Amino acid sequence: MQFFFEVLIAGLLSGVMYALVALGFVLIFKASGVFNFAQGAMVFFAALTTVGLKEEFGLSLWLAIPITMVVMVLLGIATERIVLRPLVNQHDITLFMATIGLTFFLEGLAQLIWGSNVRRLDLGIQDVPIEFVMDKTGMLISQFDVIAAIICAILVAALAILFNKTKVGRALRAVADDHQAALSVGIPLQHVWAIVWAVAGFVALVAGLLWGSRNGVQFALTFVALKALPVLILGGFTSVPGAIVGGLIIGASEKLAEVYIGPYVGGGIEGWFPYVLALVFLLVRPEGLFGEKIIRRI
Amino acid sequence: MIYREAGQYKTTYDTDTQIFPIAQDRYAMLAILLIAFIVIPFVATPYIFSAILIPFLIFSLAALGLNILTGYAGQISLGTAAFMAVGAFASYNFMLRVPGMPILLAFILGGICAAMVGIAFGLPSLRIRGFYLAASTLATQFFVVWCLTKVPWFTNNSASGVITAQQIEILGFKFDSPQEKYLLVLGIVCVLALLAKNMVRSTVGRSWMAVRDMDVAAEVIGFRVMKTKLTAFAVSSFYCGIAGALFAYCYVGTVEPEAYNLDLSFRILFMVIIGGLGSILGSFFGAAFIVLLPIVLSMIVHVTGLPNSVTSNVELMVFGGLIIFFLIVEPHGLARLWQIGKEKLRLWPFPH
Amino acid sequence: MSDSAQRKIGDVILKADNVSLSFGGVKALTNISFDVREHEIRAIIGPNGAGKSSMLNVINGVYHPQEGTITYRGEQRKDMDTHAAAKSGIARTFQNIALFTGMSVLDNIMTGRNLKIKSTFVEQALWIGRARREEMENRRVVEEIIDFLQLQHVRKTPVARLPYGIKKRVELARALAAEPSMLLLDEPMAGMNVEEKQDMCRFVLDTNDQFGTTIVLIEHDMGVVMDISDRVAVLDYGKKIGDGTPDEVRSNPEVIKAYLGAH
Repeated sequence: MQFFFEVLIAGLLSGVMYALVALGFVLIFKASGVFNFAQGAMVFFAALTTVGLKEEFGLSLWLAIPITMVVMVLLGIATERIVLRPLVNQHDITLFMATIGLTFFLEGLAQLIWGSNVRRLDLGIQDVPIEFVMDKTGMLISQFDVIAAIICAILVAALAILFNKTKVGRALRAVADDHQAALSVGIPLQHVWAIVWAVAGFVALVAGLLWGSRNGVQFALTFVALKALPVLILGGFTSVPGAIVGGLIIGASEKLAEVYIGPYVGGGIEGWFPYVLALVFLLVRPEGLFGEKIIRRI
Repeated sequence: MIYREAGQYKTTYDTDTQIFPIAQDRYAMLAILLIAFIVIPFVATPYIFSAILIPFLIFSLAALGLNILTGYAGQISLGTAAFMAVGAFASYNFMLRVPGMPILLAFILGGICAAMVGIAFGLPSLRIRGFYLAASTLATQFFVVWCLTKVPWFTNNSASGVITAQQIEILGFKFDSPQEKYLLVLGIVCVLALLAKNMVRSTVGRSWMAVRDMDVAAEVIGFRVMKTKLTAFAVSSFYCGIAGALFAYCYVGTVEPEAYNLDLSFRILFMVIIGGLGSILGSFFGAAFIVLLPIVLSMIVHVTGLPNSVTSNVELMVFGGLIIFFLIVEPHGLARLWQIGKEKLRLWPFPH
Repeated sequence: MSDSAQRKIGDVILKADNVSLSFGGVKALTNISFDVREHEIRAIIGPNGAGKSSMLNVINGVYHPQEGTITYRGEQRKDMDTHAAAKSGIARTFQNIALFTGMSVLDNIMTGRNLKIKSTFVEQALWIGRARREEMENRRVVEEIIDFLQLQHVRKTPVARLPYGIKKRVELARALAAEPSMLLLDEPMAGMNVEEKQDMCRFVLDTNDQFGTTIVLIEHDMGVVMDISDRVAVLDYGKKIGDGTPDEVRSNPEVIKAYLGAH
């Protein structure tokens, strides 16, 4: 039983990280209807740029992070301007394929600038069990995971405030509801999109730093995006709480499945289990946990 | 001036619905086929066969398969390579386990297995669309590769999961040299391309396009949306399955499930986008482009003396950039550019 | 109005009894009864949001009403199924043109023939025998419709490039290609100029006259409706407030109230 909880908590904590990546998707999808496949590449790009700045230019981490932040914001704005603006009003799938193109572009660009080697990123948080918990319950809970979860929680809270309490947030929600209507009451659509892409770039940076310092900054980081997809299916593409709950469910269930089902089928099921889970769910409830039901009219 | 259709009157609907209604196109196609079947086998080097022509033809076939699903039926798939893998491993097992199995039949059976897997994973498309479907095809991709890797039966208990394709022999004739394999692949691709063209110009093709363009209206005028989508999945997967088998038997020889990874799926998707969604000819253009691009890039890198690692990254950037470029500037890809060129030529030299 | 042999109005072929339809609490249709006689031109009018399109969608099975029954050619059922409706000869056009935008005019109209196809998938892939003969035969029928609706000049044009009025005509052509016994037209003349409306009126009347097709149409242009229809039903807020010949409807006080306001 103790082992079960250990796995469950480890799963939930890694689920928080999935949720963080998924959040980047949701932000962009809500505001512009674009399913940004490149979110994973943005995570990779952000992490690699931070480490690159630190190692190649000898900058301190606290200088490298803000610089990367600026880079990510600029990248977001540039993406909106160069890739998405010319594609306004195209099919969703066209936009989706454009972001696949963007994925490849960013992956190539990041490695062209900083090289293809695996780099270590040290945020000064150690990946060791929390002694306090270990003494009390005997469970091994990683200190790093807990801190990562707290950072995510703060970020989510900040985004919630941004969305619900500020003027920009109101504009964002208006745009998410109806582009045309938002435009007609004078909300500058393109500014809003630029802001969303910039915020998504920032979220990617946070995710990149956390994932990167845990697993090393390497190409495999881009695959995190593939984990975020089932999260979105579960949570619905437009729901911030959905992304979080979906992330937790996926994180926990894939770890549990790997530990309890994996040994019987040869292991390695983490790769596809979340998808199958999400798919089964899809067939029952196509709009996701928190997504809105779409009534198709003709 | 030569490319004119003046004087070519069509007096029956039959002549108006032929594949190349303009006589010059028919002669050009005939010439290309003659060159491909008769001239190239005598002049090309083994390197050109195995590094350019064979992969070009195989990828064309896979792109054609994906184009049927995505370009014609409008169902996006990120799992093309998985269907190729099913085709390859199924053919391998038919050859391995059924004594006296003719290789062409094994390919067809491999394609049918891929088609069945395609139908199974196409089922969600009845309830979901767009990104959700994309995610579901990703599930296919991961699940199939995992399954082939983990179940030793599929790879005949090979420790590393690598299979070695059996000798190709048809009616006592062995296909060993790159030249012979090229001819085999060319023959298969030509036949399948012709069949695909026939499909898209008859009711089944129109049903795909109708469902793609407006599924509710398609349903109202009597198409069965479910059957239409599943037919598209089946045909598409069949083509991909055959392409996967040819990939193993005529291109690489030895292959592991991991060779049919997500990256390959993306590459084939790129061929379809760059070549032209909803165009048979475009599938060939796209495949040629994606096969040649790395070769040209590495030549450029070689000439300019840049390190080799640059090539692969520049390749990624060029691929990505071109996808975006084509989607923005010409969503119908090279095939559309080709068509525009032909239209211009018809009017030349009197452009107005 | 001409009275050719074909245009003898026959028995009731479609009857909706007490049909109610709602979308998650919003009532679109309330307790509506409505019938259509063979060979007639039946109009449904009413203000925007009155439930006219919903009524058509119920008739050909796009929407499934929660209550009521539909009797079609003697068979009573809870709701219709789109495919079965198409098979039994009901064709329709849509309010917002629902053409297949990626295909040519010819291909769009050819799709209307899909239920006449007998050849199998394999025959079509091989382009042999029956598949090829059917293709030619359907092409011949489609060409007749193209002539009838005067679409020769745009035959091979992708529909996305056509002007609005022509698109409406192509949609009618697609519906006619099925050789329907009943044709549902959802605002066939909306957004057209006078000339285009006249053309469309002529096509509708000719269809009714030459092929004996029963026509149910929704239209906003009162002049047109009163001119061409045999009977008119009036809907308002999902309820039927009037039904009868154009003259009866014109003098119905409730209809006048709905159209001119409560005063």
